[in-house]
This record gives sequence, C-alpha cells and structure tokens, in this order.
Amino acid sequence: MPETPHHAIDIRSLRVDYGDFIAVNDLTLTVPHGEIFGLVGPNGAGKTSTFRVLTTLMEPTYGEVFLDGVDVLEDLESARRIIGYMPDLAPVPSDLKVGEFLEFHAAAYGLGKRSQRRDRVAECLAEVALSDERNKWCKELSRGQTQRVVLAKTLLHRPRVLILDEPASGLDPLARRDLRTALRKLATAGTTVFVSSHILSELAEMCSSICVMNQGRLLASGSADEVREKLGSTKRLITATPLSRHEDAVAWLSTRMDVRDVRAEAGRIVFEFSGNDEAQADLMEGLISTGIRLRSFEEKRSSFEDILVEVAETNRNS
Amino acid sequence: MSTEPQLLPTVRHRSWALWNNPIFLRYCRSRLRIRGLGIALLLVAIVCGFIGAMTYSIGVSSEMNPLDAARNAIIPLIVVQSLILFVFGTAQVSGGMTSERDEGVIDYQRLIPMSPLAKVTGYLFGLPVREYVMFLFSLPFTAWALWRGEISWEIWLPLYAIIFSSTLLYHLTGLVTGTVAKNRRWAFLASIGLVFALYTVIPQMAKFGLVFFKYLTIQPVFYETLPDILPRTAGDIVRVGQNLMPTAKFFGLDFSESVFTLFSQFGLILTFVVMLCRKWNRTEAHLLGKSWATGFFIWIQVLLLGNALPLIEPGNLFPSRAFTQMIRLDPSWVPSPSEAVIMSGVYGFFTLILMLILGAIVTPSPEKQLRGWRRARKTGKDSLQWKDDASTGFWALLIMAIAGAGGWFLFTRGLVESRWFPGYEVPLSVFGYFAAVLFAAGMGAQLLMEWKGGRWLFLSVLLIGVVPVLIGSVLMPMKMIPLATWCIALSPASLPFYAAGSILTLSEIPDVAARAVPRAFLFSLAVYTVLALWLMIRVRAARKAMGRKVMKG
Repeated sequence: MPETPHHAIDIRSLRVDYGDFIAVNDLTLTVPHGEIFGLVGPNGAGKTSTFRVLTTLMEPTYGEVFLDGVDVLEDLESARRIIGYMPDLAPVPSDLKVGEFLEFHAAAYGLGKRSQRRDRVAECLAEVALSDERNKWCKELSRGQTQRVVLAKTLLHRPRVLILDEPASGLDPLARRDLRTALRKLATAGTTVFVSSHILSELAEMCSSICVMNQGRLLASGSADEVREKLGSTKRLITATPLSRHEDAVAWLSTRMDVRDVRAEAGRIVFEFSGNDEAQADLMEGLISTGIRLRSFEEKRSSFEDILVEVAETNRNS
Repeated sequence: MSTEPQLLPTVRHRSWALWNNPIFLRYCRSRLRIRGLGIALLLVAIVCGFIGAMTYSIGVSSEMNPLDAARNAIIPLIVVQSLILFVFGTAQVSGGMTSERDEGVIDYQRLIPMSPLAKVTGYLFGLPVREYVMFLFSLPFTAWALWRGEISWEIWLPLYAIIFSSTLLYHLTGLVTGTVAKNRRWAFLASIGLVFALYTVIPQMAKFGLVFFKYLTIQPVFYETLPDILPRTAGDIVRVGQNLMPTAKFFGLDFSESVFTLFSQFGLILTFVVMLCRKWNRTEAHLLGKSWATGFFIWIQVLLLGNALPLIEPGNLFPSRAFTQMIRLDPSWVPSPSEAVIMSGVYGFFTLILMLILGAIVTPSPEKQLRGWRRARKTGKDSLQWKDDASTGFWALLIMAIAGAGGWFLFTRGLVESRWFPGYEVPLSVFGYFAAVLFAAGMGAQLLMEWKGGRWLFLSVLLIGVVPVLIGSVLMPMKMIPLATWCIALSPASLPFYAAGSILTLSEIPDVAARAVPRAFLFSLAVYTVLALWLMIRVRAARKAMGRKVMKG
C-alpha cells in the first residue's frame, strides 16, 4: 500500500506492451484529490491504455496503480467501487429506457433499496439536466444526450475518481459548457476527475493540471502554463511592426541564431523565435538600438494544438 | 482543499440470489416486455395446443384409449420445449453476449462491483429469460398429457432434470463462445456449430467406444424413459429393443442413466463456469488455468475408460454388435479385429484432439510470455510461476500426453486382451509408442504455438494436418494405395490410426498397404518426434533468451 496520505490517483512505473510495441512506458504520475486532471496526447500516445489499466479493464505488463489507496491490480472490486468510468463515445443499451438503464446500474452497485435507488437516479438525471427523458428509450437519444446519460450513470455511486475518455465529443458548445460546469462542481465537492480530450484548449480551460503523453511516455505535467512553458517555450511566433526600414530589420534579424523564418508581410515582420524570455528582451532592445523604431512587438505563444502537432511531428521524424 | 466525497453505502450481491441479481433483473425487464413476450407466448400456446389436440384426436380416432392418446402428445411437446430451450435459448445467449460487446456496454458490466460468479449467473439465466418463460408456458400442455397419460413423477422428473442440466450446458457453451468470439456473426455461428458438434456429432463417437459422450445429451435418459412415455403398446416394443441396447456401467458401478448424465454434465458445466469467471475477472486471462486444464483432461480420460471398459466383455462396446442386434442376423456374433484397431485409433485421435484444444487454451503467446517476464522482473522474481498464464504450457501438456497415452493404452489393452481376441496381447512397449505419438503430434503443436503463436499453429494444422489427408483421399480412389498411405501418414493427425494399425498384432491391414502402413508410420513418427524435440530445445532456448533479455532490461 502506498504511504498515507493517499493520492486520488497514484501510478507508478506503469508499462503496457502489445507484443513489441510499448503503449505506455514507465509512466509515473500522481493526482491529488479534487483536481480536474487532463490527459493530452496524439493518437497512440497511450492515453486509452492508461485509462483501461486505471479502470481495471486491462492488466498492465507491470507497474502499480492505486486509486485512493486501493491497489487496482489486487483489489478489483474495491477499486471498481471508487471509479466512475465514461468511455469514449459512451454507448448505451438499445433495449432499455433511460430510467431502466440507470436503475440497473444503481442496483448493480447495490445502492440501497429500490426507492432509494429511484431517488438517486432522479438526482443524477437532474444533475445532467435530463430529468424529462427518464422514460425515453436510450436508442432514441441524441449523441449529446447519450453522453449525459452515461455521465449520470457514472455519477450514480458517487465515485471518488471519475475517469472520462473524451467526454465532450459529440456535444454542442452549450452542452460542453454545462459539462465543464458539472465537472467543476464535482471537483469542488472533492471528486477527482481524470479526463482526456482532443479539444485541448478546452482541457486547458477546464483542468487544474494537465499531463502530455506521447509514444507512451509522459512528456510534461503541471498547470496549463507550466506545460506550455516546458513544451512550447522553444517556439514563439513574434510579429514586429517597424515604422520604417523594414529591410534593415529583416536583415538584422536574419543574422541571429535564435530567429528563423523571417518574413515581411504587409508592413509587419513575422518570425519564429526560439529563445527564452530574457533573450526575447535582448532581441527587442537590439532592434531598437540599431535605430529601428518599433510601433508594436507582439508575441504569440504556441497553442496546445501547435505544441501537440510539434511533439507528434518531432517524434515521427526521430 | 476540497473534502473527499463519501461513496454511497452499497449492498454486496450474492451469486446464488438470482432474484436479486441486477443483471438477471435487467434482462427480465428488457426481454419480458408485454409486446415481445405476448407474441412469443401466443405462438407457444398455438403450437403446443395444436400438437396436444392433434395428437390426442388422432389417438382417439384410431380407437386408442384416452391414456394412450394423451401419451401420443408427450414426445412432440418435449421436442418443442427442447427447441425453445436448446436452440432459441442458446442462440439468444451467445448472440446477446456478443451484442453487449458490439454495443460496447460490456465494459460497464465489467466495472460493476459484482463477483464474476454473480455476473455469470445473471447472464446465464437473464439472457434466455424469455425462452424460460416460453418453456414454462408450454408446461401446462405437457402436464395435461402426463396427467392424462398417467405417467408417474419418477419417470418425468429425471427427464426434466436432464433437460434442465442440458439446457445449462448448452447455454454455457453459448455464453463461452459469445464471450470469446470476436464478433456477433461469428459468435452465433460458432455457438450453433459448437453446440451441434458437442452435443450431436461428438456423441456419435459413443458408437466407436467413447460411450461417455452420449451423456452430454439428453439421449440416454430420453431412451431410458421412452417406453414409459410412449403409448403402452409402442412402449413395450421399445422396451424389448432397449434390453438389447448397451448400457453404461461406470467401472462396474450401477448408476441410473439420469444420475450418470447429471454427473457427467456437471463436470463440463463446472469447467465452463470456471472459464467464464476467469474471463470476467480478467479479460486477458486464459480460459482455463494449467492445473484445471490438466485435471479436466485426466477427468475426461477417467470417464472414457470408466464407461468403455465394462462394456468390452459383454461385447456391447463394439459397433457391429449393436448393428447385429438391430437386424438380428447373426446370433453367433464376434467382433472383427479391425474393429478393435479402429476403435483404438479413434480413442487415440480423440485424445490428441483434446490435447490440442487444451494446449491451445493454456499455451501463452510470445507476447504474453514477454509481459509475464517483464512483470516477473518488476516484482523481483527470476522465473515464471507454473500457474501463471504467461509460463510455459509444456509441463501441463507433457502430463496430458502421459495421461492420454495411459488411457489409450488401457483402453486398447482392454479391447485386445478381452475374451473376443484370444491369444493377443498388448505389450508395455505399445504405451511407449502411444506416448511418442501424443508427444510428437500434440506437444509438437503446443511447442510451435508457444514459439511462434496461434497463426503459425493454424497454418501448420491446415497445411501439415489436413492437406496430406485430403491429397491421400484423392489418391485412394485412383488405386495409388501405397502412395496415398504415405501421404496420409504425413499428417500428424493420422498417427493414432497408423499407430493402432501398425503396432497391434491383431491388425489386419490389406495386402496392398501392408508394407506401407508400418513404414509410413515409423517414418512419420520419427520425423515428427525429431521435430518436436528440436522445437522443445528451440522453445526452451527462446524462452531462456527472452527471460535473460528482459531481466537484463
């Protein structure tokens, strides 16, 4: 057992192999209670394998996984009581109504008497704003409604750890906002949310921490800014707008080692800068000291999408 | 810092409490909706009502008394009930299971904190719940026929007990196939195919000495009760015929057919339940552990011998005996030596097939071995445990080969040294040959699978196991007998028959193949033994190399 106090999620040296392919390579990660933790990575990064191990659906090659102090590999039943899992494109059975589907799961989790279970189902449906759909067939729901029904199912037993694989896929912007609100509410109440998404900017907005995985390895983790700093600091797009002497400015910038792809566009000079904050300050000072008067100097940081594309491409080329 | 949410208090589900089993209740809800069920029950009522009324009216109009007329309806009604439970129920179980996986909801069920046994029970009785209700709905019709036909409960109770245990067995077969098969179409086809093979085709092997297999069906109990459920005149005729039929005495113990059928089916039911529990516990787990698979193999050998050996002396084990008795041609019947040789070959062939199936179940793929080694390294072990799925299946198969050769030898000795073939003996060296055959063919396949994986095994079975037999079969009608003999011998699957034909002194091989059969057998046996030994060394080296590589990191 891990030392107390327990983390909500404690992954130690996790490895998952498929033959010679290493899906997850020595992943070590801890998530404190009450966090919304985002898992980001391109396809094949190892996100789903990590989720499947966390949810007891897959046995890893080796490694240890603790959920709230419970060893996932040793005590499956206890672990399953702690977890609420919502898979990607969450399916629902076609032969049940919404209320029946949820009541079945409430019964499967052994949540008290029938009347208590019905009340709990009503509560969860209300949480996802689907109280009116209780008697609707699951197969008649829209994609967004299906996602919300499965989220309601996931919340039934008040799991301490919510594991959500692409929960926002298929949701319209309004439903996404509702989902974000619901997750924040849960996290405030102490539930730990471990979530993956391809809509990375959305993860950045929603999560208190993020980790980026690629080719089975953890590349960076921390707050959104920290991760951006770790992975994206080498690449900033800078737009400088001189009042005059554009050619001189381009020529001067082109001599620098930390500047790439300098191009003049409609009175502006756009270039890629790979130095740190201090080097950027030097650069601006250098430009001004050569007598070039700057009207503006703007930095555009790489978005998460850019970072991921860069990471994926770097790995593909390596 | 937020506070940790409290899990809601939960109740643990007991595996046996079906009425509280959420999975069972879930299917009661979805499959017993008035709309679907109503039509099904209406159909049952129409069919059973028609059968009951029709057969009764035919009986009465043929001047049968009402008792016999009512008995006329029983067998057709049992056929309808069997159709509902065995065919519709099994298809529903396997199809329903795969549809859960197709829809993707099976992962939810995996995460439900219920014991694997509770889940198996829920699915076993839940998926075919409509078929059970249809069956129950047909019971009043049968009850009327039994009551009017004055059939005692001592007759119908064992019959229905066996119908129920066979239903469980067939449904479990469907559940296992549905759990293992990759897609719904395959699951449906595989389960129907498997049920047909296991409970229709394989029981035919009872005619060749493997009497045990008929106890996987309702056939023995049905035949036992047949005289008492038919109209009395027909029943008496069947009873006379029945006295001539072979009966099974397990190692001389005198069980009733129903008790022995229950006993035989129970072992298989238990094994299927173990398979399902293992799969529910861990998706990646082998269907059976090595110990269970080995024990199961030995248990089947014991059942085969226990059923067969007591039937040799009275002659009831021989197929020609049953035929002779049926047409009442020759009261001075004696079995032919070739009959014994073929029966020995069939026994060896079946043993080999069972070894291959169990070998495929317990043999880890190279990928699984690799994962096992990596896990061992992480946990500070320097070897894999025997029980670990990732450890070699070699030792389990070796035990099976020895036990199988022992069973095959005892069966063959029982046949050849019986009073029917005076002067013939089966020396102990025959055991060595049998063991060599099972080692070369059975272990060779297992070693190949362990080394290269299932795809290579499949291709080998196809190209080395099946194709030579097909070519030989084509050559045979072209009168190229020696060439065909050599060709067929190239298939390891033919080795048990060649062994029986070559080694047993009572064998009467036709002159045209008399030289080819023993030579081809010895040649093939030598080649495949060398191959198996080479594979053994190779696999061992590969395993050690894998272990060393992983341990080094």
